[in-house]
Formats: sequence, structure tokens, C-alpha cells
Amino acid sequence: MNKPALYLSASSTISHQPTFGNPGFSAALGPVETSSVLISPDYKAYIDAGLLRRMSKILRMSVACAKDCIARAGIEQPDAIVVGTGLGCLQDTEKFLNTSLTVEGLLPPTSFIQSTHNTMAGQISLSIGNHGYNMTHTQNTLSFEHALFDASMLLREGDRHVLVGAADEHIDMLEDIAARLEFKAAAPLTSGASFFVLSSENGGNANAELTDIYTVGGTENRQEEIDAFLDRNGLQAGDIDLALYAGAPVQGAVRNLDYLSLIGVYPTASAFALHYAVDVLGANRDVRNVLICNALRKSNLGLTLLKAVEA
Amino acid sequence: MGVCITGIGVVSAIGMSVEENLNALCEGRTGIEPLRYLQGTKASLAGEVKASNDDLRKALNVGTEYVSRTSLLGLQAAREAWGDNKRSGVIRTGIISATSVGGMDRSEVFYKDYLAQNNPDYKLLTTHDSGSTTERIAKELGITGYINTLSTACSSGVNAIMLGARLILQGTLDRVLVGGSDALSGFTIDGFRSLMIYDDQWCRPFDESRAGLNLGEGAGFLLLEGEKSLELTGNTPICNVSGWANAADAYHQTASSPDGKGATLAIENAIRRAGIGLNQISYVNAHGTGTKNNDHSESVALQNVFGDRIPPFSSTKAFTGHTLAAAGAIEAVFSVLAIQNNLIFPNLNYNMPIVGTGLVPATQLGTDLEVNAVLSNSFGFGGNNSSLVLTKYE
Repeated sequence: MNKPALYLSASSTISHQPTFGNPGFSAALGPVETSSVLISPDYKAYIDAGLLRRMSKILRMSVACAKDCIARAGIEQPDAIVVGTGLGCLQDTEKFLNTSLTVEGLLPPTSFIQSTHNTMAGQISLSIGNHGYNMTHTQNTLSFEHALFDASMLLREGDRHVLVGAADEHIDMLEDIAARLEFKAAAPLTSGASFFVLSSENGGNANAELTDIYTVGGTENRQEEIDAFLDRNGLQAGDIDLALYAGAPVQGAVRNLDYLSLIGVYPTASAFALHYAVDVLGANRDVRNVLICNALRKSNLGLTLLKAVEA
Repeated sequence: MGVCITGIGVVSAIGMSVEENLNALCEGRTGIEPLRYLQGTKASLAGEVKASNDDLRKALNVGTEYVSRTSLLGLQAAREAWGDNKRSGVIRTGIISATSVGGMDRSEVFYKDYLAQNNPDYKLLTTHDSGSTTERIAKELGITGYINTLSTACSSGVNAIMLGARLILQGTLDRVLVGGSDALSGFTIDGFRSLMIYDDQWCRPFDESRAGLNLGEGAGFLLLEGEKSLELTGNTPICNVSGWANAADAYHQTASSPDGKGATLAIENAIRRAGIGLNQISYVNAHGTGTKNNDHSESVALQNVFGDRIPPFSSTKAFTGHTLAAAGAIEAVFSVLAIQNNLIFPNLNYNMPIVGTGLVPATQLGTDLEVNAVLSNSFGFGGNNSSLVLTKYE
């Protein structure tokens, strides 16, 4: 099938780094510190105070990023909302699990209501009054890539602007679980949300084009998959000016950068890598092609290819 | 030719296979009973699958104990839908499952011990995340490549079928196993009880006296194939997946809008996508959970779309209980059975029409109508509304 160009018209990230409302952040970004905390914007500027009080971290991050993104893209409404999350609403899930096991009698329902994986996408549709396609993908470390792929299909089916993003939240219990399961994280465990407006046309505000996206689960041949993916796109490893990777570097790329060292570890950290790539492509004219190679979980591979917007 | 269904599989409170489910549907026999296997919950009635985890593991030949009931149920239905099909290097094959709570049935066992500091088994948590339930099913079936999980609460199952159909039409996949699976858990039982929509009596969809839902568990899977795959497998199509739509209600996080806005959009768009007239829908398998809110809102949506010419409709949730993310997939399998056998399934426990809408569901097994096209609805938390149109293969 003929693949028309897809444009990233807006990007927004809330994380442990100064990424929110800070275009050009990629130039000065250092490694994320173990002692770092989530850098929250003034959420009241994005979310009604009554709603905000009941919202967990992942909901606040997601709704604020979504609204920021829509404003930056200069659109009234996206045609669809697509979200990826690896572990969903952990804070509310743990809270309700705890309540249901410790409280007798009538239980408060709020944390149950907000424990479902699609609470982010639902709350975004509610907060902007959107009646379009509303989807939530949850496939471990590839949750964001699956959401992005769905968004690109929607644009090929005729949508003009799709709000697509991902979020995962850290809870204290994860540290204990990671230690007990001997999960050796490459960087501190963190929280993060990144949202984008993906468009079928460039309204003059796009910094990057999404060239291709590919996911494979249960893979044993990472290198073969990467080679075949680049080949399908008429590229060789040497054409990749910047490879943003989790897991192992991309052999032959001009420059490799471990994005987990910048943002920390959460299942949808590759969504941050996309924002980072868009930021670099907007600021640095020497970078033409960027490959995001997500092998945070070894058997799952996500490949996202971007290029600079033709002048 | 479009997207064809060539295999179906289902496990629910009314049976471990397609045949057992069909028999119970025809005999009007519910599977909602007092819980036998899941202990320590406050539910007096639920649609439990009549097999323990050990039974399921043995039957499915799954060695490890670190597997969620959600995965086991999913695997049971997926294997039946997959049948004797072979893996292929040429046919691009994927799997999409839907689940709302993933491995919560194992996580809550862990968490109870964790709170009591009673030597909790952390390894149980490796089956918690929803994606891992699908990865487990894929691994057992030997499927690699496109493996994905959707989680949009109670509409998830229909969304998995919709996504699979789109992937085939866009040429990304040649065939795809699509479905949904959810196990009963204390977490969800307590959750719906906290919302005060869990009925301690048998649920009564579309009845004026309805007072809530009974939860259920199970899984449904369908094998979808496009033209290229069919040429290579030689499988016989049973039905077509002809129409689908998802729309956001954008009214409330859990409640459906009184004007049925999101549901109306989903139904209208799915029928439009199928390219058939309203009068060509032979049967509607409704979401019909038995809650005050859903059944009223869904009735209004049906009236919005069909006016006073609403096709025969029923909810099969009084047979299976509400199986959450599996519901849309299980009911899609039931819809295929309706088309295959020219049947309209009865809506159990119905007595009096809802005041204000006055709709009367089918209450007897219908055998005298030709069933060519079925509309199946699934609506979830977050105002997530999905509809599917299945049609007889031609």
C-alpha cells in the first residue's frame, strides 16, 4: 500500500526532566538522576480543580500533555484519541486492591473507576468533549508503538489529526518488586507521559515526518529485523544520523544514544524518545534520519523511523 | 471478499467449547450460579467457568503455575478458533487479545500475602500486566510478530475484532486471531459492588426491575482471514466482518449518557461501514448488562438509530454474566452462531418493558427467521462504545 507522509504537528512530555513546554530541551539534556522527581507543571492551568483533586499522577500527566498538544497543534479537536500504556493506572489499582482487602462494608468506588487502562483516553475525551475513535493499547514495552501504528492507520483511512500518546506511572512498590524479581534496570524507574498530534498534512508547524513504524513480538533476530526494516525504507544503517535505543545500540548508525539514560525506565519510555527525536530534528539541520530502536524487553522490538520535514 | 471469519472458539459459564455454548443458548440454560472455584468474594452469583486452574492447565498442557486464569481461558478459546491451522512463513499472522484486568486473579493472591507479610510470591506478578496474558497465548500457539492487547474496559473485545479487520484491509496482516479474555477476580467483583451495580439476584437485562449485573468470566476468539490467506489455507469462510465503529460518549467516566450519544454514533457508523440498510439487520446482540443506566441508554440508542422498527434483539448476559473485555468477543462468537444456524437467542429473566422506552427483547429461541446480518454492541467505562456488524458469507 502506498504510504502518504505523516507529520508530527505537536509534541508534549511530562517527565523527570525539563521537557514540558520547553522546545529545544534535547540540546542540554543530561542523564536522569536517581534522586530525580517528576517535574509537574501547574496542572490547574489544564485541568478543572475539582477533577484534579481526584486524579492520580498518570491521569494528570496525560490530560495536561493532551491539552498542551492540541493547543500547540492549533486544532479544535483531533479526529481520534489513541493511548498506549504498559502498566496502566498503578496508583489507583494498588489503592483499590488495598481497600478491597482491608476495608469491610461499602467501598469508595473512585479508585476502581480510575483503575482501568483506558481511563487516560476516556478522561481526555471527556475533558475536551471528543466523540471520535478512542483506543487504548497495552502491550508491555511496545504499548506506545502499537498506539502510534494505530494512529498512522487512522490517518491512512482518512482522519486528518490524531492525538496519540503514552503514559506510565511509578509507584513505590515497583522498587521492591524490581528488587525481588531481580529486574536490573538500566536507569532509575521513573514516570512519564508523552503525547503528539499526528497529522496527514503539514500545517507549517511540523518538525518531523513519521516514515515508518514496525513492531515484532517474540523475536530472536533483532539485527535481521532492523536490516529488513531499513531496507524496506530504502536506507542503510549508515544513513541513520541518530539512533535512539533501549537495549543495544544500532550497529553502523552515525550516532547512538541510550534514551533510557535520559528519561529513566518505564514501559512506554519510547514515547519520550519520539519527542526527543522530534526536538532534535527541529533544531539540528544536520540530522536527517532518526531511528528509535526499542528493545527494552529483549523479545519485543519496536522500530520507529523519522525524517526531517522537507523544506 | 473483505474480511472473513474462518474459525471460532469460546469458553464461558455455559460451556468449554462452541458446541457446549450453543447447546446452552438453545436450551435457555444459564451458567450464573454461586461461585465454586473463586473463594472469599462477596458475590452471591457469578458466571464462573466450570473448571479450576489446575483443570485448565492440565487440559491445555501448560506446565507452569505462573500463568493467569485470564491467559488459560484465552488459550482455551484461541486454540479452538485456531483449530488445525498451520503456522506459515508466507501468511503474515498476528494475534490481538483484549483484557480489562490481565493477571489480576494472580496479583490479588500475591497482594493478600504481601499485606499480611505472609511470604508473598513475587513471581506471581510476572503475569500481572495485560500484555503478558496475550504474549503467553501467542507463545503457546507459536505466533510471533504482530502481538497486541487492547484494554478499553467492557468494549475491548469488539475493539480487538475491529483492529484485526483493519490490519487485514490495510495489508499489514493476512490473517489474525482476535478476541478477548477476562477471569473473575475479587478486585472486579468488589469494584462493581462499590459502584452498587452488582445484583445479588439473577441479572435481568432490559427488564424494568433490573438492578445491576452479574459478573462472568471467559474468552472468545475468532480467526480472521483476508483473500491471500484464504487462497493459501483453503479454509471455508463462515461469516464476514462487515462493519465496525468505535465512538466516545464523552459524558461521564462510568455512566452512559441518557441520550445514548456515543452508542448511537457507534451503531450508525458500524452499519454505514457495512454498507447495508437498517432493515437488513436481522438481529441485535445487545450489550444489555442489566444495569439501570446501560440498558436505558442502549434502548434510547436503538430507538435513535432504528426508530420504531427495531430488529429482534436480546442480551445474552443472563447466560454468561458480564465477562468484561471478553464480552464483545464471546458475543461475536454467539452472533456467528446466530447467522450459521438462523437463530435468535432468548433474553433470559425478562418480564416487564423499561418505562419510558418500552422495548421488548426476544424472550424465546427464534428459529423461524433467516439471520443474515447481526449487530453486536459493547459499551465500556470511559464512555467507550463499539459496535460490530457480521454478515453471512456470500
